[in-house]
Amino acid sequence: MQLKRLITRGLLAATTAALAFGVSAQNKPIEINMWMGLTGQGGEMLTRFGEDFNKTQNEYRVVVSFKGQYPEQRAAAVAAYRAGNPPHIMQMFDAGSGDMMSARSAIVPVSEVFRRAGLQFNAADFIPAARGYYGLPNGDLLSMPFNVSTTVLFYNKDAFRKAGLDPEKAPRTWPELIDAAKKIRTTNAAACGFTTTWLAWVMLEQVASRHNVAFGTQSNGRGGLDASLTLANNPVLTRQLQTLIDMQKDKSFDYGGRSNDAAAKFISGECAMLTQSSGGLGAIAQGAKFGFGVGQLPFWPDVTGAPYATTIGGASLWVFNAPNRTQAEFRGAARFLDYLRSDAVMTEWAKATGFLPATNSAFRAMQTEGFFAKNPGRDVPILSLIDGAKGDNTNGYRFGRWVEIRDVFHEEMEKALQGNQSAADVLRNTERRGNVLLRAFERSAS
Amino acid sequence: MQRRVVFPHKALPWLLLAPQLAVTLVFFFWPGGQAIYMSLLQQDAFGASVKFSGLENFALVLGDEGYLQAFWRTLYFSVSVTVLAMVPALWLAVMADRVVKASTFYTTAMLIPYAVAPAVAGVLWLFMFNPSIGVLAWWMKALGVDWNPTLDGADALWLVILASAWKQVAYNFLFFLAGLQSIPKSLLEAAAIDGAGPVRRFWTIIFPLLSPTTFFLLVVGLVYAFFDTFGIISAITQGGPATATETLVYKVYKDGVHNLDLGSSAAQSVILMVIVVGLTFLQFRFVERRVHYG
Repeated sequence: MQLKRLITRGLLAATTAALAFGVSAQNKPIEINMWMGLTGQGGEMLTRFGEDFNKTQNEYRVVVSFKGQYPEQRAAAVAAYRAGNPPHIMQMFDAGSGDMMSARSAIVPVSEVFRRAGLQFNAADFIPAARGYYGLPNGDLLSMPFNVSTTVLFYNKDAFRKAGLDPEKAPRTWPELIDAAKKIRTTNAAACGFTTTWLAWVMLEQVASRHNVAFGTQSNGRGGLDASLTLANNPVLTRQLQTLIDMQKDKSFDYGGRSNDAAAKFISGECAMLTQSSGGLGAIAQGAKFGFGVGQLPFWPDVTGAPYATTIGGASLWVFNAPNRTQAEFRGAARFLDYLRSDAVMTEWAKATGFLPATNSAFRAMQTEGFFAKNPGRDVPILSLIDGAKGDNTNGYRFGRWVEIRDVFHEEMEKALQGNQSAADVLRNTERRGNVLLRAFERSAS
Repeated sequence: MQRRVVFPHKALPWLLLAPQLAVTLVFFFWPGGQAIYMSLLQQDAFGASVKFSGLENFALVLGDEGYLQAFWRTLYFSVSVTVLAMVPALWLAVMADRVVKASTFYTTAMLIPYAVAPAVAGVLWLFMFNPSIGVLAWWMKALGVDWNPTLDGADALWLVILASAWKQVAYNFLFFLAGLQSIPKSLLEAAAIDGAGPVRRFWTIIFPLLSPTTFFLLVVGLVYAFFDTFGIISAITQGGPATATETLVYKVYKDGVHNLDLGSSAAQSVILMVIVVGLTFLQFRFVERRVHYG
């Protein structure tokens, strides 16, 4: 009796399974893989966007996965591409863009991806700074800007109060910031005055943009692969770096590593000021146990025309090409990108993380909603990036092997911060070593 | 007259050797050949343009002052690690050899570090010596030592040297102990009767008789320091600050995986291969002469 029931049940289960399998095999969704380099809150949100997209349709199934920080993820993607199976979409940070742009057989420009999928795509809707960075002269976009950021200054209001500084006033210029940092040290309001994440991005690329100085020929590498670095004897950069090297001695500046590790020094209260990507806001808001304020990246007031606009950072989304890739897969990638650039997703993303809305329409949506009026300080990156004065050298740069050149700069700066060389040496050595890499890149890419 | 055993079957020996040959070919010769092949090419990261460039990669690597600095640094690192892993191991082995009670317990306890994965060992040391949160760093600060491996290159280099040596002590200990136990007790007793004290017995009998073991551990230790310390360096310093802890093997990884410069990375690994073969050859040629095989 029992045995009989068991058999019937088993048969029933088997039939159901077979039926279910038959059904799912018929319209099995096409899998679209996206690799990202974000951790923490940003990474969780991006993963959820993938799941949300899957609920809106059943043709495609998007899988968003973390493959390590940007450089590791890039290496993994290159290996996968060489093996013939790269992810459909890859998030790539600003510094890696130059390499991607010259690898034209490996990628399909996003404007082209949308065209093939028959989806309407208005490249002009993306904010100009991002368009200039990731676009082609004909207006097409090579990659889709997603997490767009710029450098801002975070400061600890409690520490400012303790040091006798005005907590409602962010230091606007470098002399003001140096002054505040020294006061914080002398009053012992914090163990260190100020620190920075992404040393090369902030203190080289952003500072150059802020003062409209070039650091390479051919309009910072945009003119061609034969561009070179021109860092040596640059007065603004020399002064900027020498200031940091001198401040390190009394901990009014304290170096906190090459990537974004230094953010922890600010969140823990160890350092009272931090120059960081505006995208770091979410983590600070979650972790900081003190009141904090946001200001624009400081500038040197005696430089003619300063302050100029800062330039963008963050990352964009690239679509990979591969021999075995079907049109349906490209269509799926386009559909997901289309979902990500919608106002609803863009505004949710920007509000939670502190990244900028990448499109004008999302920016307007946030404005009409009154988000910036309700959240003072959140317009700081926009004022710095979009409304800041523009010059010939505020549009970013485009160099190959820039990830490596950044590390060369980091190495030289670390030597200087240990007290072994001056800012002039740092710039001279970075220029020399960087140009060797640029020439090697030129040879391998042409 | 010599008698040789001849198998009638011609294929059998090959068949028996096949698994080992297959492993050697797939895991050693094939990647080794790939490295040599790629070291002669110039290519972009995605492999879109691949050009034969002869020995250009080698010329670039050897002409790079950073590479030469890394070479001397690696030598300093490897010799320090090998010595620091062998001397305490020998001392511990001599002590353990004299323990009568619970010697299995001591021996097992000594072996634990060897079972720790390099990355885990790295993280362990990183935490103990982290200038902000590390226990040992805190003690050192209390003693007035200015300890900062995140910015001071010498501090960082010593940190990775100590971590790497610590991991290898267990391995050396085991071999030294086995070596000690194979020394005939009668020799030592005879020397003792002739009036030789423990120190004299060690230097005139034990140490020379241990020389095959010491020599073996020297070769293995140098190869370990050259290659297997990658995980520890990667976990603790990533080659920094500046390039203070960038050894040759770490540079191969950094240039190949991080910077995607495959030609240079392949050329560097070929050079590394030559260095290690040469080093081992030199050791056998000159050091082994002084080794006394009992």
